[in-house]
Amino acid sequence: MSDQPPGVGELIYTRVFDAPRELVYRCMIEPEHLTHFWGPAGVSAPPESIKVDARPGGVFETVMVSDADGSQYPTRAVFVDVVEPERLVWTEPGTGMTTTSTFSDLDGGRTEVRIRQTNVPEAARSPEARAGFVTSLDRFAAYLAALANDV
Amino acid sequence: MDQLDATFTALADPTRRAIVTRLAQGDATVNELAAPFDMTLPGISKHLKVLERCGLISRTRHAQFRPCHLERQALDAAMSWIEENRRIWEQRFDKLDAHLRDIQRAPAPPETASQGPLSPEGRLPGKQLPHAERPSMGERNDP
Repeated sequence: MSDQPPGVGELIYTRVFDAPRELVYRCMIEPEHLTHFWGPAGVSAPPESIKVDARPGGVFETVMVSDADGSQYPTRAVFVDVVEPERLVWTEPGTGMTTTSTFSDLDGGRTEVRIRQTNVPEAARSPEARAGFVTSLDRFAAYLAALANDV
Repeated sequence: MDQLDATFTALADPTRRAIVTRLAQGDATVNELAAPFDMTLPGISKHLKVLERCGLISRTRHAQFRPCHLERQALDAAMSWIEENRRIWEQRFDKLDAHLRDIQRAPAPPETASQGPLSPEGRLPGKQLPHAERPSMGERNDP
């Protein structure tokens, strides 16, 4: 761990929620909760199409449906590691992308959720290439976007 | 997806990212690109070939110094994937935040529904409802 520079995770998203860890964790694995937030804006995730078997080897499947035109985006992943209520790791067999969700207790009954995605589309398979992601692709993207605005 | 994969692989290298960043500001020759790096020209050329293969850059064939040119579309495809992914998670987080507020504000189950609104005796009316099987939203009948 320590010999890798920080930020080896290619893409990292963090948010603090004003709710206890057990509850936030449950939201991530129970269809009746997932349906409320899994689809981004303008996209819903009907509860009947969400399958969660939160144990190593278990499935994590959803169908996201566009509110605008009804087009469907199925997602299919398999759990690799499940440590209730601390950590969920799933991988998408289609792309090899792995998502690690970490739930940390904060004071005041708050919870930090950290989403770390590795193996961003098939890339960075070799250790050498992987090391290249260290400065984190999303910061690179943001930087380039800023540059593009200046040009 | 192949094109995108190739682009991500190419961008996985910090030197190549630096080259792309430099080219985002305008075309440059191999010599100009090599200057900021402690690297031989053949070393830089190798990186340029990778970037060229995945379509991120192009090089003018006829000009003497063959300046490198950033191909915006290829870069934009990779960048928009990243941005889209970030957007999805931010919106999920926003929705999860709202959902957590909702469920934590929701009325407690019947047995423990003790925080009667307004009146201190508020817990009595709730219990007296004949159809108290399921907690109804209509319990808060303000006088």
